[in-house]
Amino acid sequence: MQQTTALTAGKEDYPPGDFVIWIVIYAELLAFGIFFLSYAFARSQNVELFNASQLELNRTAGAINTLVLITSSYFVVRSIAAIRENLQKQAARWMWAAIGLGSIFIVIKLFEFYTKYDEGITLSSNTFYMFYLSMTFFHFMHVILGLVILTIMATKIRHGDYTAQEHDGMETGANYWHMVDLVWIILFPLVYVIR
Amino acid sequence: MNQPHNESSVSHRGSMTLRPCTLVWLALVGLTLAMLVVGKMGLSGGNVVALLLVATLIKTQLVADIFMGLRQSRLLWRMIVTVYLVGVIGLIGLAWWLGNV
Amino acid sequence: MQYQSQMAAKPYFIAAILLFVGQIVFGLIMGLQYVIGDFLFPEIPFNVARMVHTNLLIVWLLFGFMGATYYLVPEEAETELHSTKLAYILFWIFLGAGVVTVLGYLLVPYATLARITGNEILPTMGREFLEQPTIIKIGLVLVILGFLYNTTITILKGRKTVVSWVLLLGLWGLAIFFLFAFYNPHNLVLDKYYWWWVVHLWVEGVWELIMGAILAFVLIKLTGVDREVVEKWLYVIIAMTLLTGIIGTGHHYYWIGTPEYWQWWGSIFSALEPIPFFMMVIFAFNMANKRRRQHPNKAAMLWAIGTPVMAFLGAGVWGFLHTLAPVNFYTHGSQITAAHGHMAFYGAYVMIVLAIISYAMPMLRGRAAANSDKSQVIEMWSFWLMTVSMVFITLFLTGAGILQIWLQRIGENPQSFMVVQEKISLFYWMREVAGVIFLIGLVLYVISFFIGGEERTAPAKA
Repeated sequence: MQQTTALTAGKEDYPPGDFVIWIVIYAELLAFGIFFLSYAFARSQNVELFNASQLELNRTAGAINTLVLITSSYFVVRSIAAIRENLQKQAARWMWAAIGLGSIFIVIKLFEFYTKYDEGITLSSNTFYMFYLSMTFFHFMHVILGLVILTIMATKIRHGDYTAQEHDGMETGANYWHMVDLVWIILFPLVYVIR
Repeated sequence: MNQPHNESSVSHRGSMTLRPCTLVWLALVGLTLAMLVVGKMGLSGGNVVALLLVATLIKTQLVADIFMGLRQSRLLWRMIVTVYLVGVIGLIGLAWWLGNV
Repeated sequence: MQYQSQMAAKPYFIAAILLFVGQIVFGLIMGLQYVIGDFLFPEIPFNVARMVHTNLLIVWLLFGFMGATYYLVPEEAETELHSTKLAYILFWIFLGAGVVTVLGYLLVPYATLARITGNEILPTMGREFLEQPTIIKIGLVLVILGFLYNTTITILKGRKTVVSWVLLLGLWGLAIFFLFAFYNPHNLVLDKYYWWWVVHLWVEGVWELIMGAILAFVLIKLTGVDREVVEKWLYVIIAMTLLTGIIGTGHHYYWIGTPEYWQWWGSIFSALEPIPFFMMVIFAFNMANKRRRQHPNKAAMLWAIGTPVMAFLGAGVWGFLHTLAPVNFYTHGSQITAAHGHMAFYGAYVMIVLAIISYAMPMLRGRAAANSDKSQVIEMWSFWLMTVSMVFITLFLTGAGILQIWLQRIGENPQSFMVVQEKISLFYWMREVAGVIFLIGLVLYVISFFIGGEERTAPAKA
């Protein structure tokens, strides 16, 4: 390990976290990628419908949710930075703040879903809405799972399970959350903005 | 495995220097707000879409490099994500072009 | 073998192999009927041969899974089985029910079978793969419940490992989804919709968990790799299996009258279904490379490595081939489906059962860690004969399928089914030849058990 580190000029063999989480991340990215491209090419067959339906979305809600997720991700980064300096209290505070923001995402998204439900929109309304509902719901489920993971991490920080020397588990969970963020960063312009 | 990452070793707590991750966060917020403005104005057209996609690429690559820490790891792991991002975002651009031109 | 009650696995394995031979014989009969339509008519019509071929497959695989469970659970839980007696009783009930069912199919007309078994009280018969008389289905549920009770209690009182939990999850899922076999609504769309909850959610959902668990167990034993590493892989494989497999059911919903979004959901999620199989390939080769000992049972290792590879090809690649809705529009219900079905079942489930039998049987028969070299050589021959001939069966059926789709559905002048069947008969002949070679491989497999010689003893350090 020491040697390879020296050879690759300070680079580590694996990205932070357990390497299995990277397999999961790549697989998840693939899943979302297929969704995104299906949307994009389905749109190219039916631009007018997609453009018209897109106008009915709440862009402000989408943008706020992007900011919320980005900031939540940032807080998780700060939480790990705090752990690296053995500041458990601060780390826990950052983590709970990240969870709070993630919950705001859930609330806003539920509001959006409710509005569409109220308008009588279903998966069968049209192809645009089929994609909009499927992709955002699929992502929504990932946010919920991510929040569960963050909550477990927050309690573990409190119990002093992570230290500056040993916090692999935290990096593993954090990277799952960043993946959820990364996917939304593509989803937002793709579905809400690009026309 | 757990050597301190750049941001904590470079930044000096208490000093005025911003951590790299904070800079990234500011950049992400700025680009998102710009996208919202574009969306609100309902702008369209090749140039606008190209800019939006480039902004998306920058945002996602920043998240991968700095937040996920891929900058610190071997090139292979980082390249998988970069190739993915360029591929997916590039194809989204291609699909847009097919539909609108 | 560390626990006396693991012996309960033995009759299950023997029954599995015997029924496997029966399945292949009926496969060959059907294969011949494809080209000689009145072969064995009226004694064994095509529809009966087909029913026996597919039902035997499912039943012998269930025997295999149960045997594998009885072998694996005591060793994982580090305790004797809750009740060995129950295991033996259930074995005879299950075997009896299986034999009676097959005889019923062969000896009386299906309609008569339905009448004498009281199908009208709770009609469940007459649907592909679920042809069994209702009373047999109820018996099957009771057998599985008894089996689950026996193994769950054993695991609860003993050591709890990820491998046994995953296996248990798969087995409980198997039992729960089978209950949809009793739901038989009048609406044909709904009927088909829930029918797939048994058929698809078995083979592309919970059975994959069973397969993953058995594969993990065999690899731990053969390679001596740390459990911790294996468990991590198992977690990821299960997560991906369930994520892709459950919504992937949608690829069966394209043309049966369900809402249109299934065409997207089915296409997208089932396009991802090769991922868990691909992970199993990487997992198996990873374990083999990291192995800490040279286990003397080389034949078992061959099966264990071969399983994920063939499963990936058959279930993953051949599945993907026709899973996207725009492609499936042309290919559904053609020989492409048959090609996929053969290699997927062989690669994923036949091979995993043969792998655990190959690993466990020498010990169950009181031999040392492995059979003699002579016996293993024969067994490895059978591996290659069966595997290669299955590849050819798949290729020939794929060729037949492509031609069929072209002549019947895409070409300028679409031709009728029977005319097309005539034109692709050469492929069917070649498939039949490959099938005979498969049977030879299977016979060699059986023979390998009866070859003595000096047994190989405990694993040597690498």
